[in-house]
Amino acid sequence: MYVCLCKGVTDKTIRQAADDGVTSMRELRALYGVGSQCGSCTSCAREVLSEHLATRQQKFQQLPTLPIAVCYA
Amino acid sequence: MSALLTGSAPVLAELNRVLTRKLTAINQYFLHARMYRNFGFEALNKHAYKASIYEMKHADALIERILLLKGLPNLQELGKLFIGEEPEEMLQLDAKVQLADIQVIRSAIGVCEQAQDYVSRELLSEILEQQEDYLDWLQTQLDLLKQLGQSNYLQSKIHQE
Repeated sequence: MYVCLCKGVTDKTIRQAADDGVTSMRELRALYGVGSQCGSCTSCAREVLSEHLATRQQKFQQLPTLPIAVCYA
Repeated sequence: MSALLTGSAPVLAELNRVLTRKLTAINQYFLHARMYRNFGFEALNKHAYKASIYEMKHADALIERILLLKGLPNLQELGKLFIGEEPEEMLQLDAKVQLADIQVIRSAIGVCEQAQDYVSRELLSEILEQQEDYLDWLQTQLDLLKQLGQSNYLQSKIHQE
């Protein structure tokens, strides 16, 4: 889906950006111009971003912190 | 005389709220229609185009009603467009918007009823009937898409019905 029509930015682009390390709307705006023209998409873009960041966070929390056996000797 | 034909503030607010949704839907359906045509799905283009024109007619009726009630129709405000990237997503987003519109119209009908504005209520219920028809068409398409598979469904939409 096109989240920002003015700049032609899709939800996939935003999710990919989040995977690449974008965490705020400010960075998203600087990179792709999301919400810099008419502003209608700001809340939708924020929703997509925070939702994706939350699922990523959850995925990382489920991973074991130490995947290998540690020897304390 | 003018005092007799003045709409109550909540009714005018509701009519304007529905109008904003109509103006938004006109653009969304129109863009989807021409995207379908660009993809080569002439049959889908026809339906989405017609839906856009219906939304325009609804907007026209609402504008006239608001003016008659001495209100100011707000043509400035426009909601967010939900534009899909491929046919299935476009149908899903249209269905989502259509369903949300139906809920707004239903609550607006309630407000008109309470304010005893039976003519506005009648206008809105006529609009609601057409909304429900189009939502039904959209849901049928989504069901067909699931049953036939995307490629079979889309093949049936290449030629105009």
